[in-house]
Amino acid sequence: MAKLLFEWDYSSYPGAKAYPNLFKPIQIGNLAVPNRIKYAATEENLNDHNGFITDADVAYMRSRAEGVVGGLCFMQGVYMDEKRQGQGYVGQAACWDDKYIEGLKKIADAIHGEKAIAGFQLMDCGRVGAVEVDSGHGPSTVPQRLRIFKPMYEMTNAEVKEMVQQHIDAARRGVEAGFDIIEISGIVGYLISNFLSSYTNRRTDEYGGDIRGRCQSMVEIIQGVKEVCGPDIPVGIRLCSEELLDDVKGNTPEESMETYKIAEEAGADYISCTLGWQESIYPVISRDIPQGNWLHLAKRAKENVNIPIQMAYRLFTPDKPNKAIGDGELDIWEMCRSMIADPSMPKKVLEGREDEIRHCVACNLCLARLFRDAPMTCYINPLCAHEHDENFYPKPVEEDDKKEVMIIGAGPAGMECAYVAAQRGHEVHIYDIREELGGTLLEAAHSPYGDEELLTCPRYQKKMCEMAGVEFHLGTEVTDELIQDELPDTVVIATGPVYSKIQGKGGDRENVVNILDVMSGKAEVGENVVVWGNRKPGIGVALYLAKQGKKVTIVGKEKTAGFDINPSFKWRYMIFLRQNGVMAYNDCDIEEITDNEVLVKTYDGYRLPVKCDTVVVSEREANENFKNVVQAEGIEFFVIGDALVPRNLSSAVHDGYRIGLRI
Amino acid sequence: MPVNAEKEISTLWRNLHNAQSEICKTFYRWREVAIEVAGPDVKPLDIAMKAAEMMGKDLGKNLLPRLNWLKGEEAFILNLGRALAGMWVNEGGVAFAEKGENEGEAFVKCTRCPWPTAAKEFGVPMEEVALTRERLFQTILGDANVFFNINMKIEMLKAIPRGEGMYLFRLYKEN
Repeated sequence: MAKLLFEWDYSSYPGAKAYPNLFKPIQIGNLAVPNRIKYAATEENLNDHNGFITDADVAYMRSRAEGVVGGLCFMQGVYMDEKRQGQGYVGQAACWDDKYIEGLKKIADAIHGEKAIAGFQLMDCGRVGAVEVDSGHGPSTVPQRLRIFKPMYEMTNAEVKEMVQQHIDAARRGVEAGFDIIEISGIVGYLISNFLSSYTNRRTDEYGGDIRGRCQSMVEIIQGVKEVCGPDIPVGIRLCSEELLDDVKGNTPEESMETYKIAEEAGADYISCTLGWQESIYPVISRDIPQGNWLHLAKRAKENVNIPIQMAYRLFTPDKPNKAIGDGELDIWEMCRSMIADPSMPKKVLEGREDEIRHCVACNLCLARLFRDAPMTCYINPLCAHEHDENFYPKPVEEDDKKEVMIIGAGPAGMECAYVAAQRGHEVHIYDIREELGGTLLEAAHSPYGDEELLTCPRYQKKMCEMAGVEFHLGTEVTDELIQDELPDTVVIATGPVYSKIQGKGGDRENVVNILDVMSGKAEVGENVVVWGNRKPGIGVALYLAKQGKKVTIVGKEKTAGFDINPSFKWRYMIFLRQNGVMAYNDCDIEEITDNEVLVKTYDGYRLPVKCDTVVVSEREANENFKNVVQAEGIEFFVIGDALVPRNLSSAVHDGYRIGLRI
Repeated sequence: MPVNAEKEISTLWRNLHNAQSEICKTFYRWREVAIEVAGPDVKPLDIAMKAAEMMGKDLGKNLLPRLNWLKGEEAFILNLGRALAGMWVNEGGVAFAEKGENEGEAFVKCTRCPWPTAAKEFGVPMEEVALTRERLFQTILGDANVFFNINMKIEMLKAIPRGEGMYLFRLYKEN
């Protein structure tokens, strides 16, 4: 009889009817899991730099535990060696001593408090570890491909055995802390994956050689952890179904499937199916990868083993995992980024509130920050990693403090601010000259490579605004007179930016057009285009036009194109530009525009003519409109989003949220 | 358009060559510093060879993200040769790589090298110039060999500073 930790009955919920496969039970080892939902272990750099759990991490985990509605909720992977070679993140939790149990227990208790199953992950970061020390440890001294990682040290045979024991000891501590299920991380370049891969394991002892030898440490860990945990605690492992390292002689897909079979033989109760390494040259989770793109790998895994298979990786909506589970291609739907963006995501699915989900836009800012030793944040969820801070939650205002708020601009900044202020009790009116909500995102979403996913943000905000009672005034141009007539208590200027004029000669010619007119199809664009501005919007419009077969050149003042794209995504855009033949002249200005040429001037004075029949302006500046009138009328006002400083969607959302809290 | 293309290009060209010439001169200026700091008991050649090793190690790290095995061994070896020649070109040399007659072999040739000229200016023996180039390339291969689990070697068959008219390196896989 499988052990059931908490009773859940989903039968009355609409989501259980719409997605019956997601809300049916499954047995993992001897544990009964009420549904097929899992928040997968994700680092967030929220713990202290000695590995002790903080209140921030507990609160972060509690909100995810609430979201899985009785499913699996895994805390971040812990490192297990006192030397800290296995530590890959400055805020990673530690578990190399019993002194950590007390803190870990707080997380297990928080998860249990939400009637969810508490998962504990063992993660020695191996090749991508040693964040606080001088060298990483691994099976062999294979040099790092990426300079951000530390040089490698080859573990002795005794040290491998010690590492196996560290996993076993840490698992015992996890169980003592109250966790219900243990997971071993063997993916993306972490230590176990280093042992498994022909790329990084060149050993000649019993821990190297053929695939069986390379799996030996994994086998010993699984068996040892199983033994220490006992029959009631399932033990699973995360393994790459494909390393995507064929360019450096990594494992073949067949070898990867062999690792699955060997893990099952060793006693693993489930496998979490992943792909790719941090060193892989192929994209796996960026926005250009279609949703559900990797489900065939879960299916293949299920064809090779008989234990449950779990998977995340571009599964942001419930339909695909529901179908895959129904078709027998998957057992459990894992989530990382989609529950970073909205911790209540599966709960909202269950309750039939899908239109209230704040969807991840796959920007990878969360990962980019972790690799740069910064605490987790989310591009579009301002509350992420602040769950412990009561100042980050909307607080109702006193009756006497309620205000009439006029928000100018129904883009992401304005709408975010609008619903937060309205939730607090203010009377909020949002104005936009357009008939449609979303601001410049409506145009930005026309960029290729999956940017239509950006529209999930205004859809969510619209719903939130409607629920909070925000009044929309669309198709209404705000003028000084309108402000003077309405005389609101507060004005929030969220108009978006103004577009820069080109100072060079010819900057006012007819063949100079605005990016928004281009992206919305209003402007005619010739075959040879120069885009003025080498930040995100410039790159977006350049790719949009290049996809139409136009010859596009970017000219911009920044030293590198796309410097404002987060580093974990920028490499994709640089490849897109190359693939589409887009040339970028950075650190440059436009000196002159004629009918068929643009004269580009480099920062140090060289000049070169570029064939061009249309110039597209994407450079932006802060918007100073309305400041004078609101100041003159003595109205409280705030400027947010690109109207304040042209930046990005994330800044717009975060600005809007914070000002919404302040009004 | 009021651009005098000849003037723009000639200025750029001149500045590029000045910058390339500074690469060699800077190295030799530092060589003098190292010799003075090391004192009379250390041979200048040993210092230069150590510098070549350290530079090679670092240059080799730059190669790792750019090399790959996707097109097989022969393409890998030729690309490695091209990468070595490319470094020389950046320094102001005229260099290229060619496939060898045997399997697992490529040749790196340099018909014009700025280093001997600069070396003369600083009184550096010509043999040292040749030996440091060889050591530099050998060290670059070190990390690539471990990374790709292959045993590539490189040997200098001809050298401009030895009066042989060109540099000729044989890059080959040792079984």
